[in-house]
Amino acid sequence: MLIEEVMHPDPITISPETTLCDAYALMQEKGIRHLPVVEKDRLVGIVTDRDLRLATSRLAKRPFEPDAEVKNIMSHPVQTAHPNDPIEIATQTMRELKIGCLPVEDEFRVVGIVTAADMLDAMMRLTGVKRPSGRLDIRMSDKPGELARLAQLLSDRKVNIHSILTYPEAEDQARLVLRVNTMEIRTLAAAICDAGFEVLWPPHISCAE
Amino acid sequence: MAASYLMCRVIYHPKYQAYDLGPEHPFSPLRVAMLLDLLHTYEVQVDFLEPLAATQEMLLEIHDPQYIQIIQEASAGKKIAHAEHYGLGTADNPIKEGMAEGALFQVGGTVLGAKLLMEDQTKKVLQLGGGFHHAHPGLAAGFCLYNDLALAIKKFTKFGWHVAYLDIDVHHGDGVQEMFYSNDKVMTISLHESGEYLFPGTGWIHELGRGMGRALKLNIPLEPFTEGTSYLKVVEGVVEPALSWFRPDVLVVQAGADAHFSDPLADLLLTTYDYERLFHKIIEMADQSCKGRILFTLGGGYAMAATVRIWAILYYVLHGWELPDRLPAEWRQRWQKKIGKPLPEYLHDRLPAYDPIPRKEEIERANRQLIQRIMDSVAADWL
Repeated sequence: MLIEEVMHPDPITISPETTLCDAYALMQEKGIRHLPVVEKDRLVGIVTDRDLRLATSRLAKRPFEPDAEVKNIMSHPVQTAHPNDPIEIATQTMRELKIGCLPVEDEFRVVGIVTAADMLDAMMRLTGVKRPSGRLDIRMSDKPGELARLAQLLSDRKVNIHSILTYPEAEDQARLVLRVNTMEIRTLAAAICDAGFEVLWPPHISCAE
Repeated sequence: MAASYLMCRVIYHPKYQAYDLGPEHPFSPLRVAMLLDLLHTYEVQVDFLEPLAATQEMLLEIHDPQYIQIIQEASAGKKIAHAEHYGLGTADNPIKEGMAEGALFQVGGTVLGAKLLMEDQTKKVLQLGGGFHHAHPGLAAGFCLYNDLALAIKKFTKFGWHVAYLDIDVHHGDGVQEMFYSNDKVMTISLHESGEYLFPGTGWIHELGRGMGRALKLNIPLEPFTEGTSYLKVVEGVVEPALSWFRPDVLVVQAGADAHFSDPLADLLLTTYDYERLFHKIIEMADQSCKGRILFTLGGGYAMAATVRIWAILYYVLHGWELPDRLPAEWRQRWQKKIGKPLPEYLHDRLPAYDPIPRKEEIERANRQLIQRIMDSVAADWL
C-alpha cells in the first residue's frame, strides 16, 4: 500500500503571511489540525493547532498576538513523504520523529497530506476487517514453502483469504493473522492444526491427531 | 374475531427444500424436513400457508440488479466469471443448480409473513425457512443469497410501521444491520458470539447506527462459552428496555438455533431449556411493546439433533401448547438411519448438559459489564 492510496489529495494550505487567528479559524472550519505553509508553490513550513495554541498561550514567555504571521511560528524544514513511499516507511518516520502528519511532495509541489488517522484507516484496510470474515492467528516455521502449504490447504477447502498479515517472531518463527470467508472457523482451525501449524486463535483448538 | 386471528400462522413450501448447498454443507434442508416429520409424528396440527416465490422485481428493493442476474445464471448452471466477486463458488456459498429457486420461495415466505401481519390476519407468524441475515446487496455470504429479512422489514416500513429486528442467531446479523444502518424506522438488535474469531467479525458495541439511525442499531457480542442464565440476563438488561423505549409496530425475529451448546460452528452454551425461556420472553416482549405482532424466521443451527428440537419447541411455544416429553421412537429410527447420527430420547436436553465451565465467573462478569457499556452508549440518545 502506497502513500498515494491513502493520502488526502490537494490539501488546504496557507501562506507565510496568514495570521495565527486566520489559520486557527481555518482549522476550526475545516475540522483539521495541520496546515502546510506554501510560498510560490513551494512548501516552506507547517503549522499544527498545537503550535498555534502554544505560541499564543498566556503561559508562553513572549506570547504572540493573534494577528502575528505564521512564518514566525511555523516548523521548517518540513518532513515530507513521496506518493510512491510504502505506508510502513511513512509510519516509521512519523513515529521516530513523533509527528502527526506528513505533507506529500512530488517534484517540490505539495500534492497531498497524510495524518496518523489515515494510517489507522490503512491498517483497517490491511487487516480486511471490513469484509465479512472469521479470524485466525497462526504460528509457523519461518522457512520457504510453509505459507504455500497453508494457502494450499485453504484453497483445497475453497476458503477465500481476505487478508494476510505476517510478522516475524523470535526463533525462526512467523506469525500470521488471516481473515477468511468461512462460517466453519473451528473446523478449519482444527484442520490447520492437523497440518502441523500452531493455531493461537481461536483459542483451545485441538488437533484430531 | 376468527379463531385463526389469535393462532399462530405457519408458512412453508416444499420448494424450500431446493435451497440445498450439497450433502456436506451444514445449512441442510434436512433440518426442516426432520422438523416437519417430527410434528406429523406427534400428530399435532400442521397446516401451512404456501407462499409464492419472490419475484426479481421484489429483490430489486434490496439487491443490486447485476447480483440478482448473476445468481439466476449461476443457479441455472451457467458458468460465472468472477463468481468470488459476488461471494459465490466458495465453501460457504457453493454454486448449486436450482438454489435460486429454493431461495426465492423462502424469501416469498418471509414476505407473505409480513403481509399477513400488515393485513391484520394474525398476530404471530412462524416462517419455517428464511433468516438469511448475512446476504448483502451485492454479496452472498455465510450460506445466504437473498436477504429475506431485509425485504420483509422494508415492506413494513413502506407500510408506515416501525420495525424492531431481533437476531438470536449465534452469528452477527451483519446484512440486515448494514441495510438499515441509517434508517430511523428500524431498530436492529443482534445477540451473538463475539466476532473475535467468529464469522462475520462484526457486531461490536460501537456499531450503533449512523445519522437518523443512531442508537437504533444494537450489538450484543457475548463472550464465547456464555451460558443460558447469563444470556437471558443480557436479554432482560438490553433487549427489553430497547423494545419498550422504541415501541415498534412489529417484531421480526431471526431464530437461528446455533447458540446451542452442541453446535459445531460456534461456542455459546444455550440448552433447549434456555431456548424455551428465551422464546417465551420474546413473545412476552412483543406483547408488551408491539401488541404481540411477531414474525419468526428460522436461521442457522448446525447440530441437527439440537436444531430440530429447538425449532419444535418454538413451534409448540408459539401455539401455546404443552411440550411433549419424549421424541417419538419411530421418528428417531427413521432419521438416525438417514443422517447417520444418534438422536436423543427426549425433546429437552438432559441436564447437566456439559461439563462446568472454568471461566464461568469471568464470562458472566464480562457480560454484565457489556449490558452496562451498551446502555451507557445509548443513554444520551434514548431520552
